[in-house]
Amino acid sequence: MKRSGAVVWQLAGTLLAAAILLAGFPARADKKNFDMSAKLYTKWLYKNDDSQGVLWLGNPFWPDDIAGNNGVASEFELAFTGSVSRYVNAGAKIQSRFGGVWQDWWESGERKWEYEGEHNTSGDSLGINRAMYVKFRGFYVNLNPDVPVVDWFRVGSSDLAMFNAWTIGKVRYIDRDNARGVFAQADFADGLFGYHAGIIALPKLWVGPGWSTGIGDDKLEYPFFTQDWAYAARLDSMPIDWLKVSVVGSYTRDVEFDRWDPDAKGSLTSGCVDSMGDAIPGCTIDHAVSTYPRYENAVVTGEIEAQPGDIFYGHLLVGYSYSRLGEKFAENGVESNEGMFPVVYGDVGDLAARARAFAVDPFEIGLSLKLEGFYIGQDWTSIFGARREDDVLLTDGLIEGGQLPTLNLANEFVDFDEPWFESCVGWMGGTAILGYQWENLDIGVEGTYLTYATNGQGRDIDKKYPTFLYSEGYTDTDLYDYANVGDRGRDPRSVYKRDQDRQTLLGVLTGRYTFDFGLSVEAKAKYVRDDDWRKLHLDGSSKFYTDDDYLGDIVTGRLKVSMPVFSSLTVGIGGQIDRWDERNRSGDLSGGYGDYLTSKQKGFGVLTYRWGGASLNYYLEYVHKNQERPDELNLADQEWKVWRSKASFEVAW
Amino acid sequence: MKKVAWLAAAVLMMVSAGAMAGEPVVFEDPTGDDVGPGGYKYPTAAEYKAGSFDMTKVEISDKGDKVEISVTMKVRIEDPWDSKKWSPPGQGFSLQFIQVYVDKDHKAGSGHKDGLPGLNIRFAEDGRWEKAVLISPQPVSRAKMEVKMKAKDLAGDVIVPKAVSVKGKTLTVVVPKDELGGFDRAWGWQVVVQSNEGYPDGNDVLTRDVNEIEGDHRFGGGSDWDCDPQVLDILAGAGKGKDDEKKAQFEALKYTCAGSDMSKAKLAELPMLYVK
Repeated sequence: MKRSGAVVWQLAGTLLAAAILLAGFPARADKKNFDMSAKLYTKWLYKNDDSQGVLWLGNPFWPDDIAGNNGVASEFELAFTGSVSRYVNAGAKIQSRFGGVWQDWWESGERKWEYEGEHNTSGDSLGINRAMYVKFRGFYVNLNPDVPVVDWFRVGSSDLAMFNAWTIGKVRYIDRDNARGVFAQADFADGLFGYHAGIIALPKLWVGPGWSTGIGDDKLEYPFFTQDWAYAARLDSMPIDWLKVSVVGSYTRDVEFDRWDPDAKGSLTSGCVDSMGDAIPGCTIDHAVSTYPRYENAVVTGEIEAQPGDIFYGHLLVGYSYSRLGEKFAENGVESNEGMFPVVYGDVGDLAARARAFAVDPFEIGLSLKLEGFYIGQDWTSIFGARREDDVLLTDGLIEGGQLPTLNLANEFVDFDEPWFESCVGWMGGTAILGYQWENLDIGVEGTYLTYATNGQGRDIDKKYPTFLYSEGYTDTDLYDYANVGDRGRDPRSVYKRDQDRQTLLGVLTGRYTFDFGLSVEAKAKYVRDDDWRKLHLDGSSKFYTDDDYLGDIVTGRLKVSMPVFSSLTVGIGGQIDRWDERNRSGDLSGGYGDYLTSKQKGFGVLTYRWGGASLNYYLEYVHKNQERPDELNLADQEWKVWRSKASFEVAW
Repeated sequence: MKKVAWLAAAVLMMVSAGAMAGEPVVFEDPTGDDVGPGGYKYPTAAEYKAGSFDMTKVEISDKGDKVEISVTMKVRIEDPWDSKKWSPPGQGFSLQFIQVYVDKDHKAGSGHKDGLPGLNIRFAEDGRWEKAVLISPQPVSRAKMEVKMKAKDLAGDVIVPKAVSVKGKTLTVVVPKDELGGFDRAWGWQVVVQSNEGYPDGNDVLTRDVNEIEGDHRFGGGSDWDCDPQVLDILAGAGKGKDDEKKAQFEALKYTCAGSDMSKAKLAELPMLYVK
């Protein structure tokens, strides 16, 4: 009976609780003062090689245990947002670490290939990255204060999209929750004037000399990164409806403490006595530690954007950057790291300018024209500028993803189907794009002339200008490898060479037609003529030296056909051919240069299925590449036969 | 001489009639009214530039067996989320989502009263709609699927054009007349400006929420209950672009909330505009 009584009481309690919930707390829809959303993402990546992991290109310089071409992994994200009051709202996310493959049943974070000399059969082996741990990310509090000059304060995460690619760029998608700072913004008089301002914590990895703010730098025994900040502001004004003026400025500062200060950790003058125990003249202990900049980068841009009427659009951007490097605190990676270094080693400043003029269908026959002229100085430096997923020039460029004015690009942590980005530091020239758009037809023709502010003879690439080791040859982004074991061509960041006299011509034709029954045909043809006369004169000679002249004739053609089979399913197939005829692609003055002929054929199929809030994407491709290399340089020809695929399945609710 | 005069008159009438038939339906809309019922605010993320949802002109033209609809915004239409790289590719713009509602018979009680899910709007009794055209940056298949899944009863009357043309400040779509059911200048029109949301709430058809407080990707100035018109700009008044049409818009978009009791909420009731 007792037991029955307990059950009755439990039941009554449950009913009472339910009644209270139903009566006392009215149900509130999700968009109210508390909102919760979730996302579950799964990726399959497969290739006909023996690597294991779920990321094509991972971290190039660190023990990396998620990169590999064969695996399937999932990621979960839970986001909370809520309104504290009319004036305060907040949000935060928790997200699992991506990288643990489905076969990792028991990974709990320990790294042990072997255990006390025995074979490890515990299931733990690959470390925390494979344990799919949940991490606190993307948190913020927004405050609408009762002061007239600020609409919103934000404390916490931001994707930094409010500035621009030249100063502090929108962070790449995978970093969207990682940048943290304090931000303010306001708009006055219906857009007449507005501003954004922010103080942002520098990531201890990537923003700084040697891609760090001190960690890993041989010159620093005790890297100090918790006082490293970037400061940025953007001012916008629309004095009239069709005119916008903007100024964006950023100042990035990485500081270290002075080890000659007797109060500093590991001080070289500890106790104000020297190694002999004698007092150091002028040395005083004041219980305060001085800091000095390891690296500073100031960038300012001014923009005028005019769009009078429906036809004409103009945009002018001018900018200046200054980069200052504290040699006392920063190791010279140009010298010691084979030219792998994201800034010029030294103090440099330079200008950039870009002007655009568009005429949008002026004759009302579907024909539009875009013109752009640009100059980006050879010493332009944006250490915190956009690293990828942005584009500052109209041209298709040498590689088609986008051009960004920084050496600090991010072409790592990507899969083979993602776009590539190249540095346009030192680029100057012009682009014209003629577009024709009529009903279902869209055609574009691009012509670009490029020359380079980095042209010059005898540049110091030993101690000052980074080359990223590989500066020659057309870049193969399909079959890229960090160590360049496959002769993949120029690093997209490599804009400096010892001897360069280069100009480039680009022609691009694109077309897309969608038939009324849904079939879409896309075509692209591209031609690049890339001349680099390299060394102009041998030492002491007035005669032009031509034996090292590079000429790249690059031709690419692509065709894709896609068709919605029904509203939830779209399928497509396509192919691409490349022919790169490169004279004197590689070699050196002493050993001579050699010609390359590269041919590539690629076939691919795509499938997209979206139904009921779930989306599935599948991409399969086969790449065949043949690279004929010069016998005189003792280089054998190479061939690739690569099958690879990627699928993703995502739901958000 | 009389015969010549009659002939000239007949030719003149034919030319006039032709000109009338080919003359586009044009509505102007004042600037500065991209605030819904009066107090809506843009999301705070940088992509939502001032004027991006401020409609200034709508032009509907008879093009033989097709009808061309152009909607012009105050500022140049941009593609901050790179829609051409979506899978499948989008239409070359990212932010805006425009819905064009058509009243073909101007009869009380005829047609659909409610707007598509996600807008929280209704139409006046004598201005219900028979057809709606979506100008969405999403790939056609995605837009069609959303309508099919979330507005099954309306899907037969919702048209997703094959492509959207983006030129400067103007978005243009072409709709076959056999899908629209012909074309008549006497029809009524309403154009609703919203924002494209790739991850819409619940049953919303690709629309971005308007909340009480603006957020990174949420409009503000509305209600946290599902009773506010989730609409930034509409056609109102005479559709001539006069300043007093702002007031007409604010009136049309008035709404009343009643907490969680949606039966007591009064949704905004939009008018149709007819060419006089």
